[in-house]
Amino acid sequence: MPPAEPRAGDSTRRSPTVLLIAALVLLAARVATGLYEERHPPSLPDLVRWRPIDAAVAEARQTRKPLLYDFTADWCAPCQTMKRDLFADREAAARIERMFVPVRVLDRRQEEGRNPAEVDSLQRRFHIESFPTLVVVPAAGGDSTVLVGYQGRQAALQQLAEAQVRSMMPLRFRPRAGSAPPR
Amino acid sequence: MNATLIAALWRQRLTSPIRLVLLGSLMGMPLLAVVFMHGAGLSALGDSQGAVLVLGAGMIGQDVSSGVLQLLFARPVRRPDYVVSRWLGVAIAASAVALVQLGLALALMAARDSLPGAQDVFLYAAGRVIESFGLAAVLALFSSLIPGFGDLALYFLFTLSASVVHWVGQVKQWPWLDRAGSEILASLQPKLDLAQLVHASPMPWFPIVSYASTVTLCLALAIVAVNRKELSYASG
Repeated sequence: MPPAEPRAGDSTRRSPTVLLIAALVLLAARVATGLYEERHPPSLPDLVRWRPIDAAVAEARQTRKPLLYDFTADWCAPCQTMKRDLFADREAAARIERMFVPVRVLDRRQEEGRNPAEVDSLQRRFHIESFPTLVVVPAAGGDSTVLVGYQGRQAALQQLAEAQVRSMMPLRFRPRAGSAPPR
Repeated sequence: MNATLIAALWRQRLTSPIRLVLLGSLMGMPLLAVVFMHGAGLSALGDSQGAVLVLGAGMIGQDVSSGVLQLLFARPVRRPDYVVSRWLGVAIAASAVALVQLGLALALMAARDSLPGAQDVFLYAAGRVIESFGLAAVLALFSSLIPGFGDLALYFLFTLSASVVHWVGQVKQWPWLDRAGSEILASLQPKLDLAQLVHASPMPWFPIVSYASTVTLCLALAIVAVNRKELSYASG
């Protein structure tokens, strides 16, 4: 009967020493780069062309595209994740540009003590309590869709696509709830 | 690397009707989205996770539980070669599936005159290949620890636990727990967003180093685990 295991000198075992050393070195480098980049995050260009608040409503009426308000703040970590992950992604940014008239509404209370009047007014109108919050407002008026938080690029794009489809439906087919038409 | 072992793995996978049906659905569903969803881009094709899990489930564990490993190591096959060959076999097969799917999607998009740019296509394809190699390494580690298809259970258990940690960190607003959860999740599905790496300034090294660290660590630990196995005809 043949032996189940080869003889000691003929062992099939080889210790992966080089691979283990490489893994440990890379693990140390991972911790180091993680700590460094947390303090010095690389900047990613925002590929969405954000419109000024006052000009956006007119553009939405003219192009018949829904408005997309991005309620955000510089100190908010999930907002920065969303910025890097979604708005800096070329394909996602192109889809957002195709579907919406995008408007960034930046909260400055923590930095400057107060917000510009139009930012305060939009935050009150959509009852914004946390960041990030995306609000899709149909160009023809009717209910807006509010998306609170950020659950990843795929989920966000899917929710935005659904909101865009809802906002393009004729008013009588849309469920009634919530908020006002764009002013 | 052992080409015979890689070819044997592919033969094994191609003769499994369940795996073929699952692969067909995983490839076909996103293509339907490309056909019927107006303006659906490359992101509609999703990621390589499904293909790697279908092709890689039980990549080592199945050989342990079926007794193939005892026979294999009676021949002049070294254990590290075996582990690396299984990893490469699964990763190359999953990459091929992703590239075929991408080719079909591009043909459909060309028919509709909505082809994406060459750079986007290249970055997407490279990203899918990198993801296949990364996830196959994680699965190789789990498969070396547990016989049969236990690697899938282990993978989902770890993913679920990491998601819970991440979620608790977000709800309780504990950034360290949130970060720990997201790091574990990223390690369970190592991938690189090449488009972001290209556009960022300066180029972030953390995602690249994290990916390389996860792959090397998983492979090294998988080899150690297979080295530690005592295989004999009586052990089963």
